[in-house]
Amino acid sequence: MGVLADKREDAAAALRVHSLRIRAGARPIDVEIRRSEILGLAGLEGHGHDVFLETVAGVRSHTEGTIEAFDQTGKPAPLRSQRDAVRNGVVYLPRDRKTQGILPGLSVLDNFGVATLSRFATAGVLRRGAMEQTYRTYHERLAIHAESPDVPITSLSGGNQQKVLIARWMAAHPKVMLLNDPTRGVDVATRTALYDVFREASDREGISFVILSSQIEELLLTAHRVLVFREGTVFKELAGDEISSDAIIAAMFGRERA
Amino acid sequence: MTPGALSQGRAWLSRHGYVGLAALLLVLLAIASLIFTPGQFGWDAIWVTLGTAAPTLLAAVAVTPSILSGRGGIDLSIGPLMGVLNVLLVQYLIGTAGLSSPFVVVAAALVLGAIGGLINGILVGVVRLQPVVATLGTYLMFSGLAIWLLPSPNGTVPIWLTDLSSGGVLIPLIVVAAGWAALKWTPYYEHLMAIGGDERAAFTSGVPVVTVRILAYVLGGVLAGVAALALSAVLGSADPTVGPGFTLTAITATALGGTSLAGGRGGLTGALVGALDIFLLQNLLTHFNVSTFALQIFYGVILVLAVMSNAARLKVPWLRRGGTA
Repeated sequence: MGVLADKREDAAAALRVHSLRIRAGARPIDVEIRRSEILGLAGLEGHGHDVFLETVAGVRSHTEGTIEAFDQTGKPAPLRSQRDAVRNGVVYLPRDRKTQGILPGLSVLDNFGVATLSRFATAGVLRRGAMEQTYRTYHERLAIHAESPDVPITSLSGGNQQKVLIARWMAAHPKVMLLNDPTRGVDVATRTALYDVFREASDREGISFVILSSQIEELLLTAHRVLVFREGTVFKELAGDEISSDAIIAAMFGRERA
Repeated sequence: MTPGALSQGRAWLSRHGYVGLAALLLVLLAIASLIFTPGQFGWDAIWVTLGTAAPTLLAAVAVTPSILSGRGGIDLSIGPLMGVLNVLLVQYLIGTAGLSSPFVVVAAALVLGAIGGLINGILVGVVRLQPVVATLGTYLMFSGLAIWLLPSPNGTVPIWLTDLSSGGVLIPLIVVAAGWAALKWTPYYEHLMAIGGDERAAFTSGVPVVTVRILAYVLGGVLAGVAALALSAVLGSADPTVGPGFTLTAITATALGGTSLAGGRGGLTGALVGALDIFLLQNLLTHFNVSTFALQIFYGVILVLAVMSNAARLKVPWLRRGGTA
């Protein structure tokens, strides 16, 4: 872990948040997310970690501060809306899968492909074969349990629906994936499998992750760095060996650990 | 059946099962029609019958994209748009201006239809009015405009247009069906079904929701242009009063065909089958001299039953299940 962590500290920035204020009167937030880093977000309900994530995703607008994404050459692009974010490879998996994630009337394949349709279209014609082939690779990789890509997404279990949504974005080859409580309502086995997927994607493909989690052990298992939010700002930053259940909980309640 | 075939069959049913009830009804109505009104389904007569049905069929297709687009999407103005296009094309373009070439008339029908649809699309997509209110507004505007421009029926249509009410009826129907099939191969169709299924989820997936929604209404307008041509062919003149009646028939047909009024589920097949049901039913009841008022009662009852049965279909467990995990 030490070696990897060091490598990541040297890695180029993927996303930079500068002087972002998400709550009136709260201290502005400065965060840099490096390539292939997994950044965890923790906090008690209502302390702003979810607002922060949604703001970076562009789902919420911001007036104070800047959010920038960097491309391969290190050129910054300001993000002001969700459209900017998606265009610059910053994608968002919402917390509420049922109302903001899945498209209930559509098949697994259509749910998978909706974010990347332009890639599967030649001169305005959708190549379903190519789309299905790409789906197959993610079907294997994420071990999605679905009888066929054509069954309705609602026929899948919650964990498998979530895998399809994660595959949807991974197929877009994002630079940063913002995940809002990605394993909420997902069974333990699937949860562990997803952690492997996140780690592998960050190691092999250089994707950065920002994972907000309501479960501390999830952050212990995945994150290289954890930001603990309190009263609308970053109260404590924990990295490497500092990350522990006690330290996170102490910071969540506003105590510096002795 | 092998498990693979079973799951494929299930997948097929989940995509097309919505037409089921309307298709069953269609078979029954077709048999009844062949028994009681065989004269209308002979080799020659069937084209005239189909020509008469074409405005209803096309109106049902025209109302479908807006309904599919979700968030209460509906286009009440389809009927009046057909009516006002009929007046503009027959009375002004063909009559006053004397331009009766098929190319000019067809192009004008499609472009004017698109403009009508664009007005609805902007009201719904950009101004964000509720579709039922926005298109009720344009319903009144279009129907008022038609009667204001031409208070009583007038004018004649060229021979090529009259032909569309008999054998030529195949041309608009085939063009529309082929166009729809082609649409299904575009990313646009996926986007349309996505915003109809869940607008917020589509938005967070980067679907350009507003553009897709506007285009749904424009597409409906273009289809209303085709329907207006079929209507002009049947009428053989400009008639400002007949258009509005098509709105409710079209919506009834679409809902009967299994297209969900909540959006995201349905399509061309449903609209066509539903419209054929309505047309054959009307035809049969007219044959038995049932009054038009009773006809409407029938429509109403059938519509309610159809929508109820479609809702019940969603509860059939083996369609919902299917995943193993």
